[in-house]
Amino acid sequence: MSKLIIEPIEKYGLNITSESKHKPLFSKIGVVGAGKEGRNIINITASSGMEVVFMEESQERINYVMEELNKMFDQKIQNWGLTHSEKKVIMNRITPTLAYEGFKGCDLVIEATRYTETGRRSTPLRKKVFKHLEEVLDPDAIIATNGSIVIISELASGLDHKNRCISLYFSTAHTDARILEIISGMYTSEEVYKKMDIFAQLINFKPHRVSESNGNVNMRLMVAMLNEACQILQERVTTMENIEETFTIVYGQRYGIFHLADIIGIERIVTLMEAMFNEFGKTQYKPNPLLWKLYRSHQLGQRTGKGFYIYDENGRRVSINKVLFN
Amino acid sequence: MKVLVLNCGSSSIKYKLFNMKSDEVLAQGGIEKIGMKGSFLKLTLPDGQKVQLEGEILEHRAGIEYILGVMLSEKYGCIKSLEEIDAVGHRVVHGGEKFNGSVLITQEMIEVMEEQSELAPLHNPPNLKGIYAVQEVMPGTPQVGVFDTAFHQTMPDYAYMYGLPYAMYEKYGIRRYGFHGTSHRYVSKRACEFLGVPYESQRIITCHIGNGGSVAAIKDGKSIDTSMGLTPVEGLIMGTRSGDVDPGVISYIMEKERMSPQGISAFLNKFSGVLGLSGISSDMREIESGVEHGDKRAILAMNTYNYRIKKYVGAYAAALGGVDILVFTGGVGENQSITRRDVCRDMEFMGIELDEKLNSEVRGIEVVLSKPTSKVKVLIIPTDEELTIANDTVMILNG
Repeated sequence: MSKLIIEPIEKYGLNITSESKHKPLFSKIGVVGAGKEGRNIINITASSGMEVVFMEESQERINYVMEELNKMFDQKIQNWGLTHSEKKVIMNRITPTLAYEGFKGCDLVIEATRYTETGRRSTPLRKKVFKHLEEVLDPDAIIATNGSIVIISELASGLDHKNRCISLYFSTAHTDARILEIISGMYTSEEVYKKMDIFAQLINFKPHRVSESNGNVNMRLMVAMLNEACQILQERVTTMENIEETFTIVYGQRYGIFHLADIIGIERIVTLMEAMFNEFGKTQYKPNPLLWKLYRSHQLGQRTGKGFYIYDENGRRVSINKVLFN
Repeated sequence: MKVLVLNCGSSSIKYKLFNMKSDEVLAQGGIEKIGMKGSFLKLTLPDGQKVQLEGEILEHRAGIEYILGVMLSEKYGCIKSLEEIDAVGHRVVHGGEKFNGSVLITQEMIEVMEEQSELAPLHNPPNLKGIYAVQEVMPGTPQVGVFDTAFHQTMPDYAYMYGLPYAMYEKYGIRRYGFHGTSHRYVSKRACEFLGVPYESQRIITCHIGNGGSVAAIKDGKSIDTSMGLTPVEGLIMGTRSGDVDPGVISYIMEKERMSPQGISAFLNKFSGVLGLSGISSDMREIESGVEHGDKRAILAMNTYNYRIKKYVGAYAAALGGVDILVFTGGVGENQSITRRDVCRDMEFMGIELDEKLNSEVRGIEVVLSKPTSKVKVLIIPTDEELTIANDTVMILNG
C-alpha cells in the first residue's frame, strides 16, 4: 500500500459562519514568573487543556521550572491521579519563553512574579511587567495578577486599557482547594470579570467574587486563626499537637493551622499581616511574636525546611521545631 | 439514501458515511486529540489509501466541520452538497432507563439525554456536543440517537439490581445498565443469519472484547444479562479497567492510599486491568508478545483476563439454561486466538468443542470455529456498530 499522505487541515474547513472560526476563550494563556504559585497555576491550567506559555528570567531558571513541573506531575502519577500518557500530553502544552513576545496570541496572562526572600514583591517591577504585556497583547486580552494584597488598580493605572486588569488568588494550601478568588479593581470592566468567571469554570474552580481588600477572604480568615493559635501556644494553654488536632479533628481541616502556615510560607503571611494591620488597624492582624521569631530567623516553613515544623528534603514533616519554645 | 454515523468521544470523533442502498461505506475516518496539540483527522479513501490532515481542531464543532469539509472536497470528497446526507446517526453511551431503543433526536430528547449525563459524565456530554454541532452546521437534517445501553433494557430486575438498599435505586437510579448494546445486538443477530437459524429462539452468549469488554446473555433475541453495570468498570478485566472487584477492597485502598472519590475512579478506570496487572501495556497485542517472551506478569495478565471471560460464559450458560451459540467479537475477540482458545478449553462438558487448529489460523472474518460435532456453535463475527447505527437511523426515519 502507498504511504500515508499528510497534509494541513485548514483548507478543508467549511467556514459556514465567521463565528465558527473563532478560537474558544482561553485556549492559550500566559504566566509571568514560575515560582511556587506560578507553577501551581501552570499545572492547573495545562491540566485543564490550555496551552500555557510561562516566562522566566534565564535558561537555567527555565530548566529548573520544567524539572519542578516534571516532579509535580510524577508525584500525581504516584498518587494515581495521572497516567504517563496524560502527563506527556500536559507537558506538551507548556512552553517556556525568555521574552514577552512569547505571550503573543494569549487571551489571558497572569503575573505571578516571585516573592523575594523577605516575602515582598516589587511593585515597580510588576508595573513594568504589566506595561510590557500591554505592548505584546491584543487590546482585549486580560492581564491579571495573582496575590492577596490590594494592588491591581495601582498596577493597572499605567496602562492604556485599564479595564482589562483583574486580580486573582489561587490558594496554594492543597490541590483540592479549588476556589478562585476573583477581585475586580477600580477600573476592571464587568465583561472582564465575566470572562474570568468562565475561566474559573474551565479550570474546574469555583469562582468567588471578592471586593478589593487585603487578604481577600481566604487569607483573612487564615491569619486570624493562626494568630489566635499562636497566642494560645504562647500562653501555654495547651500543646501544639493539641491545637493542631483541634483543627483537624474538631473542625475537619485537612491540615493543622501551623502546618498550613508552613505550607503557605511564613514570609508571605507576615508581610500580608503587616499590610492588613496597616490598613485595618486591628491588633488581631498584628503578627504574633512567634511569627516574627520564625520570620527573622529565616525559618519560613516547608520551603526552607524549617518553620513551625522541621521537614526532610522531600517536604515531609519530621518533628516540631523545638526552637519555638526556647 | 446516505447516512452519516458519528461517534463522539471526549477528544475524538469517529465517522462513517453509508450509502444505505448498498451498505457501501462512502467515507470513513476519525479525528483524534480534539482540543489538544497535534490534533488530526485521519481518513481511509475507498482504495485503502490513508490520509492524515493535521492542524488545530479545538472543539467538536470544528471537528465535524472538517469532516464535512473533507467529504465535500474535490480531492478526497464523495458528495457534492451537504443536502445529500439524509440523516445523521449518533452513538450515545448512556440512555439510562429512559431509552430502550433508538430515537429521533428532538429538543425534548436532548433534554432527557442531558439528564442522563450524570450517569455517564465522561461519555454523554461529548455525544451531546456532536448533536449540537450537527444541529448548527446541518440544520434540518434529522438526527437519531442509538444508545449503548438500550439493548440491555430487557434485563429482568433480578439481573439488573445490586444487593444494595433499594433507596439508592430510587434516589440515583443505581442499577446495572450494561454497555456495548449495539454490538451485542448486531453480532448476535448476524450470527443467527450466518448460521441460518431463527434469532427468536436461540440461547446466545456474545463476548465483545476489545480495549473495553463485556459479555452478554441473549435469550430469544433479548438481552437477559450483561457483565457491565452502572458504569463500564464492572465485569471483565479490560485494558485499563479493573472489572469486578470486592467493594471492600475499594474502601480499603481509599483509606490506605488516601484517595478521593475522583482518585479511586481514575485508579479503577485508568491504572487497573491488564495495564495494572502486567505493568507492560493495556494493549493485548503487547501482552501476547510478552507471553511469547515468557514475561511472568504478561502471562499472569493474559490468564486472569481469559479466566474472567470464561467465568462469565459459565455463569451465563446457567442463566440461559444452556447455550446454542457463542460469539466472539471486538478487537481482541476477533483477532486473539489464545483468548478464544482459553475461554473454550475444557468446556466439552457443556457442549463447546473448539477446532483449535482453525481457531489459531483465522482472524477478523465471519467464521464458525467449533467442530461439526460441537453442540454449541462458536463463531467470530466482526462487529459493525456503525452499520447498525445507520440501519437504526433509517428504520426510525421510515417510522
